Amino acid sequence: VLRIAGQVAFLLLLVAILREMYLNVAFQLELQGTQLSYEFLDSRAGFPIKESVFPYGPNQPLVRAFLVGATNALIVAVTGIVLATVAGVALGVGRLSSNWLVRRITQVYVEVFRNTPLLVQVVFWYVAVILAIPQIRESLSLGGLAFVSNRGMAIPALRGDEQFGTWGLFCGAGLVGAAAMWRWRTRVHERSGRPHYRTVSSLAALVVIAAAGYVVLGDAFHIEVPRVGERSYVGGLQVSPEFAGVLVALVVYTAAFIGEIVRGSILSVPSGQKDAARALGLSPGQQLRLVILPQAMRTAIPPITNQYLNLWKNTSLAFAIGYPELINISTTMINQAGHELEIFAMVVATYLVTSLVISLVMNMVNRGVALRGGA
Amino acid sequence: MATPGLEGRLGSAVSAAEGPAVESAPPPRPTTPVEWLHQNLFSSWFNAVLTVISGTFVIFVLNQAVSFVFVDAQWEVVRANMKGYMVGGFPLEEVWRVWACAYLVAALAGTSVGSTRRRMRWTPGRAVVVLVAAVGTTSIVVFTTQTALVRGLAAGLAAAVAGGVAAGRLGGGSLRRPLLVAWVLSFPAVVVIVRGFDGVPPELWEGFFFNLVAAWVGIFASFPIGIALALGRRSELPAVRTVCVGFIELFRGVPLVAWLIFSKYVVDLLLPPQVELPDILKAFVAVTLFSAAYVGEIVRGGLQGVSSGQYEAARALGLSTTKMMVLVVLPQALRSTIPAMISHFISLFKDTSLFTAIEVTDLLSAARRSSSSLEFFGTDMETLLFAALLFWVIAFSMSRWSQRLEVRLGVGSR
Repeated sequence: VLRIAGQVAFLLLLVAILREMYLNVAFQLELQGTQLSYEFLDSRAGFPIKESVFPYGPNQPLVRAFLVGATNALIVAVTGIVLATVAGVALGVGRLSSNWLVRRITQVYVEVFRNTPLLVQVVFWYVAVILAIPQIRESLSLGGLAFVSNRGMAIPALRGDEQFGTWGLFCGAGLVGAAAMWRWRTRVHERSGRPHYRTVSSLAALVVIAAAGYVVLGDAFHIEVPRVGERSYVGGLQVSPEFAGVLVALVVYTAAFIGEIVRGSILSVPSGQKDAARALGLSPGQQLRLVILPQAMRTAIPPITNQYLNLWKNTSLAFAIGYPELINISTTMINQAGHELEIFAMVVATYLVTSLVISLVMNMVNRGVALRGGA
Repeated sequence: MATPGLEGRLGSAVSAAEGPAVESAPPPRPTTPVEWLHQNLFSSWFNAVLTVISGTFVIFVLNQAVSFVFVDAQWEVVRANMKGYMVGGFPLEEVWRVWACAYLVAALAGTSVGSTRRRMRWTPGRAVVVLVAAVGTTSIVVFTTQTALVRGLAAGLAAAVAGGVAAGRLGGGSLRRPLLVAWVLSFPAVVVIVRGFDGVPPELWEGFFFNLVAAWVGIFASFPIGIALALGRRSELPAVRTVCVGFIELFRGVPLVAWLIFSKYVVDLLLPPQVELPDILKAFVAVTLFSAAYVGEIVRGGLQGVSSGQYEAARALGLSTTKMMVLVVLPQALRSTIPAMISHFISLFKDTSLFTAIEVTDLLSAARRSSSSLEFFGTDMETLLFAALLFWVIAFSMSRWSQRLEVRLGVGSR
């Protein structure tokens, strides 16, 4: 009885606090002559945004501006997660290399980047490195195909032509072919014990079918090489300096943490496994790829998931250099349209939902690599 | 269905066992430099290639770094803005308060390190690192300061650390409890030193001092809330548990910048209109709640590490739930969380740079401001590197200390 009474009292207190807050909000809003509603989202945004994957202009509704911010944040996060994972695994392996120099370099890297605030790094890469590289007229040219300057980076882009859709069908067929190839090689390997080469052969199947489609159709796509214009690049895939700054900082920073996780989990693989792999005559590369890493992954995935979540939340630091992500856009929205509470609720919801999605995906991956059966 | 391959493998295993026993001794420790080189850098052709590539990389980076630091860089900007970096707009005649805090914390930190560290074994490599660090720090301090008074105070700071270390060595393990008390008391002491006796209001806490104080406030103020959250999360009352879980997940799921923005734009709506809080106070509250969610999870981890036998023993002694928690469970749980708390402090300390978002002049924004002035235009590299160095020194030395504590407390091996 006491317990239930205690809980009821606790809840009543909580409700009282929330009610007080609600009354305050209502009162303040009445003073301002507004009310809680999301109708303002349909009104004209009135501010431009530097970069967006879908068409956006100041005349479009606020909700669209918010979506631009959310997608921009997501793009940085997804690219960052992929790159940071690759770099982090390389670092973790390097930390345990038998080569003294490699060991030292990776150790210094980890200690330097892990112990410096990410925001300092974001600002550093953007202000001191990217904005300090040559003006667009003197762009660094990488073989005339890609350009780097303080206006950002431009790399060749794939542009679809008339038959692009039809060519997509060929690609689909290529994927089917690759899958078939994979299964066939796996079966051959299981039956005869001959090497399967399944990765190489499936890739070959995909490339051959896609190339055949390209030849048959004639004008599926072309590759657009960027040119250096007067003020900006023309054509190609352009990466803004802000995007590059955030991305580099996030990848460099998160990779240091992932590297330490990978190192720890490699160390946690029983040394008998490595001895056994060596006894079977596997090369050092094979030992790592076939025996050590698959087992290390089991212990590494939960903490790496945490790092992915951190990376996602850390995209918010892009506000400091004006990359139009969630925080940047929503503060602009608050300054333009008010409705702080509603906008903040949207921001919170976006962060929470995306974090949830990342956790769910990583849980699925985790289940995929976990020991099956017993244990 | 025995395949020939299996038989063959078994056969070879048997013959190997019959042959002379092969001991898998570790490779002998290299004795000469040539052997060392062979073993560590050129053990195989792959290793040799790696060594050449990474060696070239190191030489390139070092070359660039040295020519920047000693030739191209214009460090004048750092010297001219040193006071701004350290304390920002803190009134000059009150700066003694900051020094007093610095001395207090330096002596405490020295004593803590001294009482927990094992005697260091000197190797040539270590001696070089220590020497370079000492010479580097001294020359940076001498270069960036302008008056003999400040240099003397900085030297005194080093002396305070050294004195602390010596005292800690003498005291050893017996100092553990007094030190803990001293650390806890240092928080109100710092607040009194800075604010008391017609002190300086928080609006004027700026520069690196702000970063340190904000992390300090965040960790100490969030501690009791964090413990409450952890206990609440493990409570048997579903209502309490749900609320605590919701609070923790909400604050952990949303980045700190968003909470700072919240404190600036939204909190006023939730408070009665007659209440007017200064922005900085609201921001401190936001950081405290944010930090509390993390502290809650750390403490929960510690609580889970306390074995059920401890609970049962406490019950068998007839202790009440409160007494059991306060006297038996929490002391053990909190002790094992010290390393995790230090890493949390480090990340909170790094996160204090986010206060830029609500226009607080911390070290980072002071650095950015100094290099955008007309006089020192285009010195971003210098100012940002210097800011990064200051953050790094604190964070790195704390992380080293926490590693040592971890070994010493035997976390995980109990």
